[in-house]
Amino acid sequence: MTIASAPPHSDVDLFSDEVLLDPYPVYARLREMGAAVRLDALDRVWALTRYDHIRAADGDWQTFSSDASVGLNEVINARLVGSILGSDPPWHDKLRAVLMAQLSPRSIRRITDYVEEAADRLVDSLVERGRFDAVPDLATVLPLTVVFDLIGLPESGRGNMIRWADAMFTIFGPLNDRTRAGVQIIPEMYEWLGTLQAEDLRPGSMGRSIFDVAGEQGFDHHQCVKLLATYVTAGMDTTINAISNAVALFAEHPDQWDAVRADPGLIPSAFNEVLRYESPVLAFARRVTRDVVIDGVEVPGGDQVVLLFGSGNRDERHYPDPDRFDVRRNPVDHLSFGYGIHTCAGQALARIEGHAILRALSERIRRFHTGEPKRHLNNVVRGLESLPVEIET
Amino acid sequence: MKISVDRDRCEGYGVCAEVAPDLLHLDDDGELVVDVEDLTPEQTETAASAARVCPVAALSLRDAG
Repeated sequence: MTIASAPPHSDVDLFSDEVLLDPYPVYARLREMGAAVRLDALDRVWALTRYDHIRAADGDWQTFSSDASVGLNEVINARLVGSILGSDPPWHDKLRAVLMAQLSPRSIRRITDYVEEAADRLVDSLVERGRFDAVPDLATVLPLTVVFDLIGLPESGRGNMIRWADAMFTIFGPLNDRTRAGVQIIPEMYEWLGTLQAEDLRPGSMGRSIFDVAGEQGFDHHQCVKLLATYVTAGMDTTINAISNAVALFAEHPDQWDAVRADPGLIPSAFNEVLRYESPVLAFARRVTRDVVIDGVEVPGGDQVVLLFGSGNRDERHYPDPDRFDVRRNPVDHLSFGYGIHTCAGQALARIEGHAILRALSERIRRFHTGEPKRHLNNVVRGLESLPVEIET
Repeated sequence: MKISVDRDRCEGYGVCAEVAPDLLHLDDDGELVVDVEDLTPEQTETAASAARVCPVAALSLRDAG
């Protein structure tokens, strides 16, 4: 492999309002420039733009380390030391085992009926109203209810949790105004979580189980709180935005909604396509532990790479006609849950929620007519603030 | 070729079984079961696709014997 004399680089700010409002044309230009493009706006940071290279990086934690490296600023990376997201094996595997004991598909499938029923009740109430806002009235309600119930959290934190989770994600970006605002908000959440003792969490809940195993795992109270924070925040913005994005996409593509309504067997494929088309998490970073050559470009050891999941999911080298939304595509290998040891721990739950909502909607609603959507800007999460909907049943 | 499952990594998503339902399935307890021991060349191709889509990279192909 030959080393290019001048590596591709770009002065684009991937975390500016303009790019976050419509990232895909910028991603397409970066993919054209190369698989690894140095970002002039940041210090020793590269964008990984293409599907194959993003997936390969996710699959190689020895070279693409998460250790204090998943965010693009020192505040978040210092905070993530020793967390499940911000660590490598063997410590990572120990934390993941604790989460997976509760969240693995084997463990989580027992709640399928409960989620299906919650989705039915929610959609019934919205059908009665006829018009609603798909973000606060639909997309937010199910994940918030399910996650609080499953973790067994007291209701007192519920009113703030969406704002806290949004802040937890946005601070993965570089130190811009959004990150600075988020950093101010995070302590509120830890202050609330920090007051919780084992007995505040419902017996038999996922949250309680963290405290139950704390003794044998050697976790102190602080580590229990960190795991609680991981559980609760990771299950918010992600699923909420997936559901809002689904409604927006099906309003825009009524023929695709007809296809799902005609064949409910398409629901898993359709949910995968929603996640591919609009990745709720646009990007996380890694740090290369040695000099690596990516598509002929040498990335020096110690530099960070931003894995642009939202770009890899639209990579024409991997998905034919990637900007077409097609519920029959079934892209089971999309990058939105990541891949490898850090693959989304909550993906089985996310699928149960996403499938339940799509099923409940498809059984009752013939058409979505949407008003002007309002985008919510977050450094790493792509989602909506508001999506007015009028439905035909 | 044979399908090899890293049991420490497998978390039971079953995406592989969706891609290769003739070669793999999840049992009633949600544990992954390999149904075909020695793969034909055609099955090897399907098995490679199944291994590629595993979210946790728990599947690999090994030479038989």
